[in-house]
Amino acid sequence: MHEVNWGLLIVVYLFLGGLSAGLFFAAGLANYLEVDGKPAYPRIARMGALLAPWPVAIGSGLLILDLGNWYRFYKLFTHFRWESPMSIGSYLLTIFTVIAFVYAFSWLPEDWRQKLFSKVPPTWKLVHRLNVDISAHRKTIAMVGFPFSIGVGIYTGVLLGAVSARPFWNTNLVAQMFLFSALSSGAAALLLAMVLDKRNPIEAHETKFLITLDIVFIVLELFIILPYLIHGTLSVLAVKQALWLILGGPYTLVFWVFFMGLGLLVPLGIEVYELAPSLLKGKPFHGDRNLALAASGLVIFGGFLLRYIFVYAGQASSFHKMGMLH
Amino acid sequence: MAMKKRRYALVIDSRKCINCKACVVACKAENDVPVGNFRNWINEDRQGEYPKLRIDFEPEQCHHCESPSCARVCPTGATWQRKDGIVLVNYDECIGCRYCMIACPYDARYFHEESGTVHKCTLCNHRVDRGDVPACVETCPSKVRIFGDLEDPASRIHELLATRRYHVKEPQTGNGPQLYYLL
Ligand code: SF4
Ligand code: SF4
Repeated sequence: MHEVNWGLLIVVYLFLGGLSAGLFFAAGLANYLEVDGKPAYPRIARMGALLAPWPVAIGSGLLILDLGNWYRFYKLFTHFRWESPMSIGSYLLTIFTVIAFVYAFSWLPEDWRQKLFSKVPPTWKLVHRLNVDISAHRKTIAMVGFPFSIGVGIYTGVLLGAVSARPFWNTNLVAQMFLFSALSSGAAALLLAMVLDKRNPIEAHETKFLITLDIVFIVLELFIILPYLIHGTLSVLAVKQALWLILGGPYTLVFWVFFMGLGLLVPLGIEVYELAPSLLKGKPFHGDRNLALAASGLVIFGGFLLRYIFVYAGQASSFHKMGMLH
Repeated sequence: MAMKKRRYALVIDSRKCINCKACVVACKAENDVPVGNFRNWINEDRQGEYPKLRIDFEPEQCHHCESPSCARVCPTGATWQRKDGIVLVNYDECIGCRYCMIACPYDARYFHEESGTVHKCTLCNHRVDRGDVPACVETCPSKVRIFGDLEDPASRIHELLATRRYHVKEPQTGNGPQLYYLL
C-alpha cells in the first residue's frame, strides 16, 4: 500500500489549527451577544479569548518541526504562490495567530497585564509601550478576526481537498466538513474548560449556550458528511474505491464506531437530551456537569479522529494501484 | 535567432521489457539514489497461474507532466518546470514539507533523508543539457526506452507517436503525463 508521507504531527497540526479557529469564533460570538443591554456571556468570551491563540501556536510549531528542513520554514514567507493552498494557508494562519494573541491580550485582567510587564526589564522601553489597555476594542478585534478564524477552519480542509491526486480528499465538501468540525471542537473545548474551572463554577445559562452552539455545528457537520458519503458512492470508480477505505476497508471501524458513533452521534444525543426539556417544554435548564464533561470530551476526540482518518485514508487513496487493495 | 521550442518526453515500448532492471541500477548509480529509494521502477502485472501465466512489465518514473500537480502545490516554488517540460526540484528552496509527494498521482517522488528535501527523476537534465540521453535510456539492453524532443519532427519519438498506437497512464488525473507507452 501507499506509504505515509504525512503522519501524526500533521493530524495534530490540522486539529489544533481548527480548534483555535473554533475557540476564537465561539468566544467572539459570545462577546457580541447581549441581554438587556448587558453582555450575556462575558465569562465565556474571556475564557475563549484567552485560550484561542495557544493551540494554533503549538500546532504551527509542530508543523515546522515536521519539515525536512525546519530552519528553512521562513521560505514560506519569502514566496507567495496563490496556487498552493499551503502557501496561502501559511499567511492566513500567521495573521490569524497574531489577531488571536492581540484579542487574548485585550481580555487580560489588569493585574495579570501588570504582572506580565513587570517581568520585562525596565530598559526595554519599546516593549513597555505595549502595556496599554485595549479592552475597549474587543469587539473590533473580534470582528476583524472572524473571517480569519473561518478562513483557518476552511484552510485545514482545503489543504487536503485541493489535492487532485487523492480521490478520498478531492471534493469541495472536505473544506466545509473540517470547518464545522473545527467550530464544534471549539465550542466543546470551551465547555470543557468552563466546566473544569472549579474557581468560577459554570452557570446553567452558559452551559446552555455552549451546548446549543455545539448542536448547531454538529448538525451542520452531519449535513456535510452525509452528502460526502452519498456523493462518493455514486461517483466515478476512483472515488468509489477511495470511499471503500471507510466502507469496508481498513478505516471502517474507526470511522463508523469511533468517529461517527462516539465522536459525533453520542455527544449529539447527550446534548439534545440536555437541551430538549427546556427547549420543548419550557422547563428550566439544569446542565449536568458529568454529561457536559462527557459530551465535550467526546466531541474533541471526534474532531481529532476526523483529521486522523482523513490524513491517513486520503494518502492511501490513489488513481492507480487502488485495485490491489481489493 | 529565436530559441527553438523543445518538449522532451519518453516513449516506452514496454512489451520489449524483460524486467532486467538495468535502468533502475543505471539511474541509482548516475543520480546517487539512496538505498531503498527509486527514481524509476518496473510495474509487474500478473495474470493467471503457471503454466497459463502472463506477466507484463512496465517501466515507470516521473511523467514530467504537462501540468504538474506537484509544482502547483509547492509552497515555495522549489518544484518547477523548465520550458522544455522537465520538472525539477530546486533543492535549495525545498523546505521538505512533502506536499508535492502527496500531490503526485504517480507516486514518483521520495523523501531524501540526508538532505531533508524531496527528490525524483530529473530526466537526467545534466546529461540532456550536454546532448546525451538519460542514463536509463542509454543502458536499456532491449531498447525499451526512446528519449527525444516532441517538437522536433525529425525525431524518432515524433515518428513513433505519429505511426504507432500508444497510451498514457491515468490521463484522468488531468496532469498530462508525458511517458508514452506503445501498445
Ligand atoms: S509524475 Fe508526479 S512528480 Fe512527475 S511531474 Fe507529474 S506530478 Fe510531478
Ligand atoms: S517538499 Fe519541497 S518541493 Fe515538495 S512541495 Fe515542499 S517545498 Fe516544494
